[in-house]
Amino acid sequence: MIFRAVEDADLISRVRRGDVEAFNLLVSRWEKRVFNYLLRLTGRPEDAMDLSQEAFLKAYQNIRKLDDPARFGPWLYRIAHNEAHSLFRKRRPETALEDAPAERNPAPGFSIDLSLAVTAALDRLTPEQREAVVLKVYEGFKFDEMAEVLGCPVSTVKSRLYTALDLLKADLAPVSTRGN
Amino acid sequence: MPHPVEALRDYAFGELSADRQPELEQHLGVCGECALELDRLRLTTAALRTLPDRELPQRIAFVSDKVFEPSAVSRFFGGFWNSAARLGFASACVLGAALIVSAYHRPVEVRTVVQRGNAQTGNAQTANADVSKEINDAVTRAVAQVRVEDAREIEAVGHKYEQEYQERMATVAENFALLQKRVGTSLIASYDLRGNGDGQ
Repeated sequence: MIFRAVEDADLISRVRRGDVEAFNLLVSRWEKRVFNYLLRLTGRPEDAMDLSQEAFLKAYQNIRKLDDPARFGPWLYRIAHNEAHSLFRKRRPETALEDAPAERNPAPGFSIDLSLAVTAALDRLTPEQREAVVLKVYEGFKFDEMAEVLGCPVSTVKSRLYTALDLLKADLAPVSTRGN
Repeated sequence: MPHPVEALRDYAFGELSADRQPELEQHLGVCGECALELDRLRLTTAALRTLPDRELPQRIAFVSDKVFEPSAVSRFFGGFWNSAARLGFASACVLGAALIVSAYHRPVEVRTVVQRGNAQTGNAQTANADVSKEINDAVTRAVAQVRVEDAREIEAVGHKYEQEYQERMATVAENFALLQKRVGTSLIASYDLRGNGDGQ
């Protein structure tokens, strides 16, 4: 992970010197993760695709504002987060993420019951709880990185995550036990 | 012993500090409830991870396109505005220039304005007095000139009439003298005629 961060920092330095191809390498490295993060927020592949495109474009345009190149990941996700919430505010300011349809295909190799249960359990969370789970469980961010992405204190991040896990645990632990 | 709930959760996500891990692991060895809770957390996260990442329906458009590439001017200003050091230096320069201008030019400007105001007021008053004086002098000169010209004209007219009067009086005197001569001549002639008739 440290080696990866150094590589990202090197690419960012090259981008800042005008090397566009270096940014293309960054896109290749991060596009799938950013797309899936946005897909889990929005539930719509087309929205996730458009938002990913916008997020990378803004990242490129503002790459000089990144203070610490080693923090490129949280910085990029922060941009993606803002893009997603900007879209939600435009579409439905009062409901934001809550009505996002869940388009999550069951994973091959796992039981349909488990995949459907995971999907349903995630959809029962609040948008904030769901995003905390996505950033921690699926994207593997540390708490301080999550706080940077979400723009809130670490204590808030942990509160959202652990409340969500209590709910998910009640829903999923019995199912996963059966599935296994 | 109370259950270290938050530490257990942090531990499950690998976020518990290294110095606290031995204590928690020791607790897990003796507390079945916490060990079961840890299993549940791991089971839950494992269940969540059964949802795999999806492939992108298409690649993100690379920014090699010239449309996305900022111009040289944009890069320059972008670099300038995004550089805290350069921006700070520029701000300091602007602030310093503003202070210098404020310290040296602005008070002088105020005094100058006041002085100018006073000077302008005095100058205006002096100018008004000068103009009034010039106007009065010009009027006096014009009046004097007109009076002189009038006097000359009156004198000339008087002289002219006096001359005409003298000429007319001379003519009258000549005519009177001529008339006297004619009368005298006539009287002499009548006496001569009367004397010659008696003498015959």
